[in-house]
Amino acid sequence: MPRLTIDGRPVEVKEGATILEAAGLLGITIPRFCHHPALPPAGSCRMCVVEIEGSPKLATSCSTPAAEGMKVSTSSPAVKAARRDVLEFLLLNHPLDCPICDQAGECSLQDYYMEHSCAKSRFPAELKEPRQKRRLIGPHLVLDNERCVLCTRCVRFCDEVTRTSELFVSGRSDASFIDIREGKALDNGYSLNLADICPVGALTSREFRFRQRAWFLEKTPVTCLGCATGCRAEAHHAGGEIYRMVPAPGAENAWLCDRGRLTYRPLRAGDRLKKGFIKNGYIDLEPAVREAAARLAGEPGAAVLGSPWLSVEDNAALAALARALGTGNYCFSFTAESGIKDGILVNKDPAPNTAGAAEAAPTGGLDLGELNRRIAAGEIKALITEARAAAFIKGRLPDGFKLIVFATNRSEIPAGAYATLPYASYFETPGTFVNYQGRRGVTGPVVPPPEGVPPLAETAAALAAALKGDGA
Amino acid sequence: MNERTLLRDNVADIAAYFAAGGWRPLKKALSMGRAAVIAEVTASGLRGRGGAGFPTGRKWSFVPQDAQGPRYLVCNADEGEPGAFKDRELLRRNPQAVLEGMAIAGYAIGASLGYIYIRGEFSAEAEFLTAAITAARAKGFLGANILGSGFDFDIHLHRGAGAYICGEETALLSSIEGLRGQPRLKPPFPAVKGLFGAPTVVNNAETLAAVPSILERGAAWYASTGSPDSPGTKLFCVSGAVNRPGVYELPLGVPFRELLETHCGGMKDGRKLKAVLPGGASSPALTAAEAMAVNMDYASLAAAGSMLGSGAVIVIEEGRCMVELLGVLARFYRHESCGQCAPCREGCAWADKLLAGLEAGRGRPSDVETLRSCAAAMTGRTICPLADSLALPALSFISKFRAEFDAHAAGRTCRAAGGGRLA
Repeated sequence: MPRLTIDGRPVEVKEGATILEAAGLLGITIPRFCHHPALPPAGSCRMCVVEIEGSPKLATSCSTPAAEGMKVSTSSPAVKAARRDVLEFLLLNHPLDCPICDQAGECSLQDYYMEHSCAKSRFPAELKEPRQKRRLIGPHLVLDNERCVLCTRCVRFCDEVTRTSELFVSGRSDASFIDIREGKALDNGYSLNLADICPVGALTSREFRFRQRAWFLEKTPVTCLGCATGCRAEAHHAGGEIYRMVPAPGAENAWLCDRGRLTYRPLRAGDRLKKGFIKNGYIDLEPAVREAAARLAGEPGAAVLGSPWLSVEDNAALAALARALGTGNYCFSFTAESGIKDGILVNKDPAPNTAGAAEAAPTGGLDLGELNRRIAAGEIKALITEARAAAFIKGRLPDGFKLIVFATNRSEIPAGAYATLPYASYFETPGTFVNYQGRRGVTGPVVPPPEGVPPLAETAAALAAALKGDGA
Repeated sequence: MNERTLLRDNVADIAAYFAAGGWRPLKKALSMGRAAVIAEVTASGLRGRGGAGFPTGRKWSFVPQDAQGPRYLVCNADEGEPGAFKDRELLRRNPQAVLEGMAIAGYAIGASLGYIYIRGEFSAEAEFLTAAITAARAKGFLGANILGSGFDFDIHLHRGAGAYICGEETALLSSIEGLRGQPRLKPPFPAVKGLFGAPTVVNNAETLAAVPSILERGAAWYASTGSPDSPGTKLFCVSGAVNRPGVYELPLGVPFRELLETHCGGMKDGRKLKAVLPGGASSPALTAAEAMAVNMDYASLAAAGSMLGSGAVIVIEEGRCMVELLGVLARFYRHESCGQCAPCREGCAWADKLLAGLEAGRGRPSDVETLRSCAAAMTGRTICPLADSLALPALSFISKFRAEFDAHAAGRTCRAAGGGRLA
């Protein structure tokens, strides 16, 4: 456990911790470009240098282990000069296109320049080396080599995290540039992390480009509902619209997968359901609820199927609906293989709440096999569930079967659905989810739902009330 | 003494090398035991001849005794700096001494495989060396169970692909591994984690060639040559405006004056000495007066504000434009920077652009100070010393020949006067 002093303040760190990490414990943030806590050190940007008493040269704090008795300065004149120099070097060929750069406002180069340099350029603009701009390198990413500071975080991410090695540094010296291997596209399921870890605007997200300025964004913690891993994330939004999702600061998941990151997209898709949908036509929610209630009440043996894609609360509301129906044909128990599928984050179970759904009906009910048997045998002639959970019903639906689903988007509606009821997504209404390890996460609301679209539990309660009304 | 042990005549052939006493030192080493070999080389005071001058015996002793798995010995023959041509001469004239030195070093550090990393452009030398390795193998000096001792040692020749940076030892290791040739962060040092992650010693070809005679005649004999801090002989490759440029093996500590006047036959065509880069294109310049007063060894050159480097002595005559010369260096280092560290990648290019502007008469008065501060910002700020290799000469050129730079910045260029000569 080495003890050292940084800027005169004592600190004790774990064996092997770097000076940069030790400084972090004291709340001292050392500027850095190439360092990333989840990637192996490169030590090449030279921005994080510090002065160690008795050492002739400045040391890179990202790669130098803290040692017993070290006296470190992060703000000596030599350190400040070195930072200014690195910034001057990095800005020599930089295009200074900050006004049209999506990284503006959260750019390390921009921020560090303001904090550590503010020097006037001594490099004539006509000597700047032109480099390749705007190159699409995958379904989600745009590479702008003119803005690149060659920190190689992106290269190391693809080498060490996804182990797909699509990116490399081509050329050498000041002609070096980030390139993608011939014939490859950057589509490894985690590519949008590169837009996050790029300290400048060299790698930007196609989904985010030119849509919003970073400084207008509000940040709300959410749980990613892309799979059973339930990563902690942060939704960035403004004016009632979500613009991107990033890993939550300090979360155990340093990354987010592309699929999970884009789970907000259906919210603003053109097929977002704002009304009920029966057969082939839209209908206001209230008559839709009445119709659904009538069908459920009218068919003996109507069933309720919960959903691992719905929150604990919404599953509970569906369980209450089953009780209102007075049916024993309900199922909230889903079995899924769980565990990390790709060695990084993506779970074998694609549903976010398999564990939480079961809480709605701890005892009784059917298993999926029995439910399917009764449907096939014609014992169940109507069923209400959530759109994706409808896929648990195997085989063709019997003629005249009344399948009623909750869905957020029209594209979700399963074939053969009789009626569809809209509901507010978990970006729009709070929900509790239990991940594959049993960890509970509460998510939402981030943005308001479309006008007139209530949370699922509210509609379920209205259905239950309508059933009681019918029964009375 | 003025005996040559490296550049000996008529020993290029293995039979002749053997007749002259060659390959006996290996036999002696094998009978001494590893620790004794390292102790002998340490006692000789031999220092690395590649440029850094690190004590060779100590370098060998850094290989962990208890390390499991393979260890490697690497001979650095990637001689690529402008003005350096000593290893090439050594490989041509005395290849067996390099191979024997490798075998002894391999034995000392417990390696059974050695690599020679030879500069890609040295194609004739690579063929010649391949034949030398084959011959040594045929005689049983390389291969399995050498001289019945139970020690196995073989040598692979690996040809570089033309990058100067691969002469830096960790970049060299990456290059052998098939990776991009760029220097690695240290620690870990190669002695702990080097080639393929195994403990590795990298020695310059000239260093290794000195080892057999140290084993043969003993550390005390070796240390009796040269100066106390820099024992032994050194290859000096002298280029520039001298009558007899070439490679000279001389005891370390030889006065520069003697090297120039006695061995190189003085300045060519009666020209006057202006400056000297005593340790190659990466060493700070000495003025004529400083050079004529200095001895050619590690300590004396350091005290004079320069360095021995690889022993490439570049002699600059009066009338040669220092701005143009520095421009040549900047072009070279800009081209050869691996591009990894920001100060080197951007600094070498900036310096090159500034110097190109000054040379062409497009300079601004502030350019000299900009160049100086750019060089200062590159000094000691990078993973490997390539940035310093440009920055240190640049700082010395500017401080010692400032007037020439200022004249260029004011628009009075040599090019206008013709032929890179000061008007």
